[in-house]
Amino acid sequence: MTMKLSTIIVLSQLLLSSLSLAWAAEPAISKDDPPVEITESNPEREVGYHVGDVLQRTITLKVADTYHLLPTSLPLVGNQKKYRNKDQGIEIYSSKMSESHRGGFNIYTLVLNYQVFSSSIVAKPAALPPEFVKFAGNGKLFRVRIPSWSFRISPLAVYGSVKIEKDMSQLRGPLLLDDSVHRQALNTAIGVLSFSLLGLLYILGNRSWLPRMGGPFAKANRKVRKSSDDDHGIKSAISSLHQAFNQSSGQSVFTASEFISQKPGFSPIREEIEQFFLLSRAVFFDASTPSAIQDPPPIWLRKFSRRCRDCERGLK
Amino acid sequence: MSDRQLADWRTQALQLENEVNKVVVGQQTPVRLITTSIFARGHVLLEGDVGVGKTTLLRAFTRGIGGGYQRIEGTIDLMPNDLVYHTYLGDDGRPHVSPGPLLSHGTNLSVFFFNEINRARPQVHSLLLRVMAERTLSAFNREHHFPHMLVFADRNQVEKEETFEIPSAARDRFMMEIPILVPNDADIMESLIFDTRFHDVDALVSHVSTDILQFDQLNQIAELIQSSVQASPTLRRYALDLWLATLTPAKYGIKIEGVDIKRLVLAGASPRGIAMMMRAARVNAWLNNRDAVVPEDIHAVFHETIAHRLVFSPIYEMRRSEIARELLNQLIRSITAP
Repeated sequence: MTMKLSTIIVLSQLLLSSLSLAWAAEPAISKDDPPVEITESNPEREVGYHVGDVLQRTITLKVADTYHLLPTSLPLVGNQKKYRNKDQGIEIYSSKMSESHRGGFNIYTLVLNYQVFSSSIVAKPAALPPEFVKFAGNGKLFRVRIPSWSFRISPLAVYGSVKIEKDMSQLRGPLLLDDSVHRQALNTAIGVLSFSLLGLLYILGNRSWLPRMGGPFAKANRKVRKSSDDDHGIKSAISSLHQAFNQSSGQSVFTASEFISQKPGFSPIREEIEQFFLLSRAVFFDASTPSAIQDPPPIWLRKFSRRCRDCERGLK
Repeated sequence: MSDRQLADWRTQALQLENEVNKVVVGQQTPVRLITTSIFARGHVLLEGDVGVGKTTLLRAFTRGIGGGYQRIEGTIDLMPNDLVYHTYLGDDGRPHVSPGPLLSHGTNLSVFFFNEINRARPQVHSLLLRVMAERTLSAFNREHHFPHMLVFADRNQVEKEETFEIPSAARDRFMMEIPILVPNDADIMESLIFDTRFHDVDALVSHVSTDILQFDQLNQIAELIQSSVQASPTLRRYALDLWLATLTPAKYGIKIEGVDIKRLVLAGASPRGIAMMMRAARVNAWLNNRDAVVPEDIHAVFHETIAHRLVFSPIYEMRRSEIARELLNQLIRSITAP
């Protein structure tokens, strides 16, 4: 029995001495270590995490290019840190490192994903643990501490009755009603209203999108352009232009002078209007009416309707 | 051959117009309309104030047309038989019967001029209905024919004392009712006052050459004009629309200030009226040296051939001339062709 006890004591001493040796092998963090610039990018919110959630933080380490990071010092995947000998329930889910070199510096980008394996019936504090990485170079070996990041793990469900007045956490923010249906209805109403206003504007604008658009001659011009070159097409084109003359002057028009006396803006094309009325007379009433038109009637009518439209828009 | 005939007759017609325009100044439009009526073989009613030259104008035309001419003055005691015969005691002391104005020239009667027609009684108007429509008259146990006769009549619309309104049936027999207005040209007005040749009507009318037209060939040439001058389908449609619009102007959006347009027209233009309008429009086309009627030909005769045929509600009859002119103007402005 005594033998056994002494053996245990010896063994424990051996274990302790080996552990102390192991601790002694880790380099201590010193002020004299070469500078390493640490930049962290942590999750946006600090609360509302549940069991199973994955939190990602990106750490950038910038160090003089005479030093390099020892990959063996990187955090191990599957490792779970303990605090006061208790599992924290935060495990490294994945780890990825990329390296670049710029301006005399080695830049290491470390993407660490942690998964939460802890839950509670009330919100409890937690932290992504600090990590230590090692650098070597210039005959030196030193450690750098990546700081921890605190957050809160929330329960999956509210336990017991909750009095909202006594639970006014700043971190949670106000409780919001679901307004998506109303918002959708509002957006639809705004859309319908906008469309109606556009329609009203179009109607008030005498069925034209811009001033002087959509006048009788603009409409006639569109019809004349589409009319065929046969006899029926010519008659249809002339009828459309007659309609435009009548609408423009507000009464039936039979002569150029009658029209120009009402619409002096058309006086630059007086001669063409006179020719048009002669052409109309020849087509509809008296085939023997002489005409001074050189072009074939369909081509001439297209040019003429365009000229009329231009005059209507104030373009001489 | 017919083309040459038409051209020759056109020259004669224009010569007649020129002759009349020399003695009756400032009345080119009425002169053209009367020429049109002569060649369309339609009777003419002139309407205007006293002393504006209605009688002078008709006398001038009568001289140019040639043929037999008779004139009668409308009076309140005029009876139908006064137009047919008159009785008198002869030198032998026995009663005699002589042919009246309608019968005195027989078939050669070319112009029967009825002065102040609205002073005659309705019985006289009734006799005229038949004479104008059929150009025949039954008297002395036989039928008398007046194949070349045109009735020229005038009336004074202002004076209402001892006058009789011409019934619509009688008005409808006239192809045209032409208003005669005082010319508004200051030079013409001055010459009418100071130029002494206008003071003696007989001497003035005698300046018109006689027998410019051959009255007994007018019917033949009128038929030739009507058959030669064409009316296209578009124009026929236009004339039809105008006619329909005279029947129901409200349907065509016509509005006249102070008039309930739905109650205005009791009867629009008659089929005979529209046919007369087209006859006159064809003659107008011929006078303008055209082979086909165009809308302007209709416009040239529209008021004068249609206005007097419209029958208005009695409440609007007092403003007849004014309303009829506005109505027909609006119809021309509203109906499109094509």
